[in-house]
Amino acid sequence: MRKRLLPVLGVAGVILAVIVVLKVAPAGSATPQGSRTGWGDPDLQGIWTDDYQTPLQRPAKYATKELFTDEERAELDRQRAGILRRDQRVEVGSERDVAGAYNAVFQSIKHTGKRTSLVVDPPDGRIPELTPAAKERAATDRQFRLALLQATQTCKDNDAACAGGKYGPPSPRRAEVPPFYNTGRLNRSDGPEDRSMTERCMAAVMPDFGGYRRIVQAPGTVSIFYDVGQGQGWQRVITLEQVPHLPSSVRQRFGDSRGHWEGNTLVVDVTNFSPKSDFMGARENLHLVERWTRVDAKTLEYTVTIEDPTTWTRSWTVKQEMSRQDDQANRIYYEPRCHEGNYGLPALLSGTRAEEDAFKAGKGPDPATKDSATDFGTEGGVDALTGGG
Amino acid sequence: MPTKLTVLVMMTGVWLAGTAVPLQAHHAFAAEFDANKPVHFEGTVTKMEWINPHVWLHMDVKKPDGTVENWAFEAGTPNVLFRRGFTKESLLPGTKVVVEGYQAKNGLKRANGRDLTFPDGKKLFLGSSGTGAPYELTPNNQKAPPKN
Amino acid sequence: MSRRSLIAAILATAVVTAIVSVSVTRITGQTSRPARTSDGKPNFSGVWQVANEANWDLQAHEARAGAVTQRGVYPYAYAEVPAAPVLALGAAAGVPGSIGVVQGDKQIPYTAAAAMRKADNAAHWIDRDPELKCYLPGVPRATYMPYPFQIVQSGPKIQMIYTFANAARTIHLDNVVGPPDDTWMGHSVGRWEGDTLVVDVTHFNDKTWFDRAGNFHSDALHVVERFTPISADALRYEATIEDPKVFSRPWTIAMPIYRRLEPDIQLLDYPCIDFTEEFMYGHLRKQQLVKHWEGDTIAVDIRRKVPPGEQLFDWYGK
Repeated sequence: MRKRLLPVLGVAGVILAVIVVLKVAPAGSATPQGSRTGWGDPDLQGIWTDDYQTPLQRPAKYATKELFTDEERAELDRQRAGILRRDQRVEVGSERDVAGAYNAVFQSIKHTGKRTSLVVDPPDGRIPELTPAAKERAATDRQFRLALLQATQTCKDNDAACAGGKYGPPSPRRAEVPPFYNTGRLNRSDGPEDRSMTERCMAAVMPDFGGYRRIVQAPGTVSIFYDVGQGQGWQRVITLEQVPHLPSSVRQRFGDSRGHWEGNTLVVDVTNFSPKSDFMGARENLHLVERWTRVDAKTLEYTVTIEDPTTWTRSWTVKQEMSRQDDQANRIYYEPRCHEGNYGLPALLSGTRAEEDAFKAGKGPDPATKDSATDFGTEGGVDALTGGG
Repeated sequence: MPTKLTVLVMMTGVWLAGTAVPLQAHHAFAAEFDANKPVHFEGTVTKMEWINPHVWLHMDVKKPDGTVENWAFEAGTPNVLFRRGFTKESLLPGTKVVVEGYQAKNGLKRANGRDLTFPDGKKLFLGSSGTGAPYELTPNNQKAPPKN
Repeated sequence: MSRRSLIAAILATAVVTAIVSVSVTRITGQTSRPARTSDGKPNFSGVWQVANEANWDLQAHEARAGAVTQRGVYPYAYAEVPAAPVLALGAAAGVPGSIGVVQGDKQIPYTAAAAMRKADNAAHWIDRDPELKCYLPGVPRATYMPYPFQIVQSGPKIQMIYTFANAARTIHLDNVVGPPDDTWMGHSVGRWEGDTLVVDVTHFNDKTWFDRAGNFHSDALHVVERFTPISADALRYEATIEDPKVFSRPWTIAMPIYRRLEPDIQLLDYPCIDFTEEFMYGHLRKQQLVKHWEGDTIAVDIRRKVPPGEQLFDWYGK
């Protein structure tokens, strides 16, 4: 027996060593050098943003073409650099000119990206059809907004912003509560709820494609701090602990995130959205599955599969590449809050009260004939990728 | 004319994600400022508020009758300028600025800075301070003039 | 080797592997909470909360009948009663007593002029405390707000995430350029002194308060924080406050911070921008929304007022 024990132990030792090495070594394929945290997780840390402008949906003329040619990108850059945007002035004393607001120097444009759309599934690069219920919700909502625009010059001029509406005297619907919890600009300022979430400094939504994000990791946790737009920043924590989601009675503005590693990819499941959150019409039934992968030292690939069976007929997926930003220059403006400086909202409300008083005294036009919702479109030229100016 | 996409965005009342800066100004300037009260002042900066959602420029302006009033002008977001390397030192009190805009509907000494220029006509905040956001596409009308 | 020996070898391996892998998981498992990070520092990651009354008033005080009080039957300060804004909440609206968190002589060394302003702040708490407007709480107040906060500790960066107002800050332990302008939460630069995390916070604006008692600062504020482990689940927090425009010398507060030990603890939203809209903008509505409330023994009527002219904007704290 003893004569056989040594080789037995030897084999056992070899098998054990192999098993231990396989268990302790990082799972998955070879990873870019230096891209593991000190405790062995893939390292996604840094400040990231998409350096390029890509439309969310593929313009129909590109059909299933996923990538622009270099010439197409250069041409789009030329066109987009050539429009005046807010620097386009129209007749002084017109509401359109007021709506232009300030100089174009405050606008930031990025170069045209390589993809024809952020949406990669469905293969035509377009968001799937709305469900019949969602179409009806959208139509009901649109009818209400159009009713509030009815007496404005926008509708009198048959502007595209009034499409589906008509011109007429102020609608009696101006006294109604909106049909759904409002998140966009109504042509009314009875109170803060009539204004957009942007104007109320609560515009940030999940998922976000345009902002900056600072990722910081610890064992079992990933922190993502978002800097979006004009101070609509927010902070998110993803736990990697294997615990169930919050109970369904507990809703959160940016949902409830649960993450785990699949090889080098952080997979995050997000549920429990609040009915006050609004991502392209999806509210509390929104469900996201995100995948974050550091492809190389400078590139973070983000894909998110978006589903809400009460809104879209099928799920859809967005993919984008983000580049690492210079951390030394602290390129994230880390106090991306607009609430503390939001003088515009009380000014807008008090201004509308002043207009109502003037109208009552016979000294000014009916505020119902003014358009405070649409910004009158894009006098300064249309950016082919954003659709805006 | 707005495109159909813009109309869809507005009509469903949803702010379309996918751009770093929203399509619209943070709030409806047409709701805050009065088209019938255009203003045009040359004045001296007294204070700058580099805040979100809008930078505020405070200026002493001399009225035609010689009196001096302090006005506040609302402009765009500071984030875009900060990323180009501007700081709070970039526009100091004492600087002469020309402002064209529209007065607030509530009648206070506030207006939007529809057009902010130096007395020589050059727009404020053009170019960058060296550490500027490298990913930006410079619009044709904002390329800095060639150095002599 | 015989088949029997091979089977024996495999069984032995399986047993040993099972034992080893349990201990291996304890070292490399992601759900572990090691006392030290992979770079040998105390591990502060997790959800924490203070258990004191500092947010009411940094200094020692006895309990008070209401967050806002008025003269009672007697003209004595100790006999004040809850005032109108809080009366309907009964005993839920009082201020708890506190042994205080100010160290040394327990005084806050205001200059004479600043002390008057502090008293004025306290007398105008509802109109002036930025907390009521859901403004960012600043440092150190964010630490002792009565809500949990989370620390996510990486090597060069430590992220602090606060429930209140979704506030957050990044503590930079690496080289980083300062912010372009002053901020509510300051610019935090950290370093280790042994097991103590020392954080130097600068670039503050003048808009935050230290508590609900009107303690305030200017834009010259400089805070130095020290986080030192007491145990795996508690740490000692000190903050030295320096502001030559307001205080005649630096002063220090100190308190323990306790780990939230619930196994499934996570931060939940406190979406106060939403909650405070009626308070902040309700006086500018077309039609007043919140007017009247009726209980069995008390009816509350609210009248809104619009401050005239520029005071409308001054109220927002500009």
